[in-house]
Amino acid sequence: MSTYETMIQVIDPIGLHARPASLIVKAVKESGLTVMIGRQGEKLTKANSPLMLMALKIKTGETLTVSVESDDEESAANLVAQIRDFLQG
Amino acid sequence: MSSVLNGLGVGLNAVVAEVFHVAPTAALPAWSKTSSGVAAESEILKSAIASVSADLDRLGSNSDETSAEIFEALKYLLEDESLFDMSVAHLDAGWSAGAGYGMAVNEFSEMLAGDAAFEERIADLQDISKRVQASIAGIHVGLDLPATGAYVIVGDDFSPADTAQFTPAVVGVITVKGGPTSHTAIICRSRSIPAVVSVAGAHEIPAGTSVLVDPVGDRVVVGGSLSDATQALAFADTGREPLIEVRANVGSLEDAEAAAKTGAVGVGLFRTELLYLNESSQPSVDRQRDLYASILAAAPEGPITVRTIDAGSDKPVPFLKMPGEENPALGVRGYRLIQDHRSFIEDQLKGLEAARISTGREIWVMAPMIATVQEAAEFAALARSLGEFKVGVMVETPSIAALLPDLAGIVDFISVGTNDLSQYLFAADRMNPSLGALLNPWQPGLIRTLERIASQAKAAGIYSSVCGESASDPAFAVLLAGLGFDSVSASRSQVDAVRSALAAVSADQAVALAKLVLAAKSAEDTKTAAVAALSAL
Repeated sequence: MSTYETMIQVIDPIGLHARPASLIVKAVKESGLTVMIGRQGEKLTKANSPLMLMALKIKTGETLTVSVESDDEESAANLVAQIRDFLQG
Repeated sequence: MSSVLNGLGVGLNAVVAEVFHVAPTAALPAWSKTSSGVAAESEILKSAIASVSADLDRLGSNSDETSAEIFEALKYLLEDESLFDMSVAHLDAGWSAGAGYGMAVNEFSEMLAGDAAFEERIADLQDISKRVQASIAGIHVGLDLPATGAYVIVGDDFSPADTAQFTPAVVGVITVKGGPTSHTAIICRSRSIPAVVSVAGAHEIPAGTSVLVDPVGDRVVVGGSLSDATQALAFADTGREPLIEVRANVGSLEDAEAAAKTGAVGVGLFRTELLYLNESSQPSVDRQRDLYASILAAAPEGPITVRTIDAGSDKPVPFLKMPGEENPALGVRGYRLIQDHRSFIEDQLKGLEAARISTGREIWVMAPMIATVQEAAEFAALARSLGEFKVGVMVETPSIAALLPDLAGIVDFISVGTNDLSQYLFAADRMNPSLGALLNPWQPGLIRTLERIASQAKAAGIYSSVCGESASDPAFAVLLAGLGFDSVSASRSQVDAVRSALAAVSADQAVALAKLVLAAKSAEDTKTAAVAALSAL
């Protein structure tokens, strides 16, 4: 199992609000992978709860660290691409 | 037999149907500890969540696409894993399932608090918490409305979750509480369901009785028929220009573009705070210039009156630190923010001046929440030092309304915000659903205050305008013209209706109408006097 870490900037004008948070958790659950998300340089939160993601109060323009545990680089990359898309707004 | 109950009407169409009372939901049990153990209580919680989830699915499948998405989003919150884990921690401490879930929801509500983007989610969480606790206690929370037939439903007030359950059988609505801007009123207006809100005594009407819901008449007539309904005023197209200028209220580019398609002459209220609600840090002067320039360029021809930021701890802007207050409506809001955020207000005026130069538009600026002549003078000096503006203040506090003669030579214009002026004049919280009747603009206490403001402004050589909700009511706009105001500013959807009313009357007729209204002694009588005078034209 390896860990893939990526930086994603939040473009959505309302920040990481309820809708992207729900979409991210849904995608993570469907992938079956373990994903941690948080502010760059801060403690990461497990992305299995929309409420915990919302409670980070991430705003537009902030950069997130997204860390995916996976055996397979391609499925990790796919999931990251989806998450990036949800944060475009 | 027919008896009349007065309230505040919503919409223009009347309806006759039988009354259906919506049963009030029983109170939830108080949170308590239990000895049944964490395993048993976790199972109870799990099955309650599953049952509420099934309810939401059912509600979602019976509603339109927008509402269905709302229920889908509620389900995500309901079934959140961390919320469940936090609830179980409370069950571990001996609390019962309903209590544990309620406590965990409160903890998340606190974590999300203070951020405008999450306010509605907190309301959603609390709604879910109630549903789960009710399910555990065996209390029914649905409205149980008939699916077929035609009914006028009667209740205290209806929440968003309630109105989402309205079936096609709901042809009219009566509420005991709530004012003209309550959620029920807004939904009924948008769906064209005739409604009368703030009707004391509506619970007394026996179920099954036929009633006339007469929104134009602001009343419910028990036993009334459609022929008793008050007719909406219709104004003939005279081809004349309105008696006084009608401007539009805007808050966004979309508003400005839509307003430009109406007959509005300029903008009487540009609410700037909406531009900042999504900014995480204070925008630069250049960015503000660009935001303003796009809106100024799109706005209808004529002067554009811009209100400097009107935020408070209940309407926070993310990058201005606004600590919570006991009474946000009476707190540090509007121009009072200058105490801690002078540079922000200065930047706003600088961005506006740059946008004025780049677009070539005529800009009037005004400050909200001004209570003293000193504040007005300070704002006027600041604004004039930063740009070529006409300068004014909002009249919302009773204190500045009492000081108009002293504003002579200090400001060029005033604009009356009737929503807040009513709130402060009547000491009636706009957010309190029980006080809707006091916030009715037809209250004689408000109208006589407006009369004094208009005549004192004229004597002081100050241009006067009204930009509150009341100016969007065509009959009220005619009254304002008769009281001596120089212009009104209406919601963009109401601009043309207000224009045609003001084009149908002569100056003498408006003054005569104002005299009749000023002589009336109650909110019902003032409106009746105005409508009678307009119908006789």
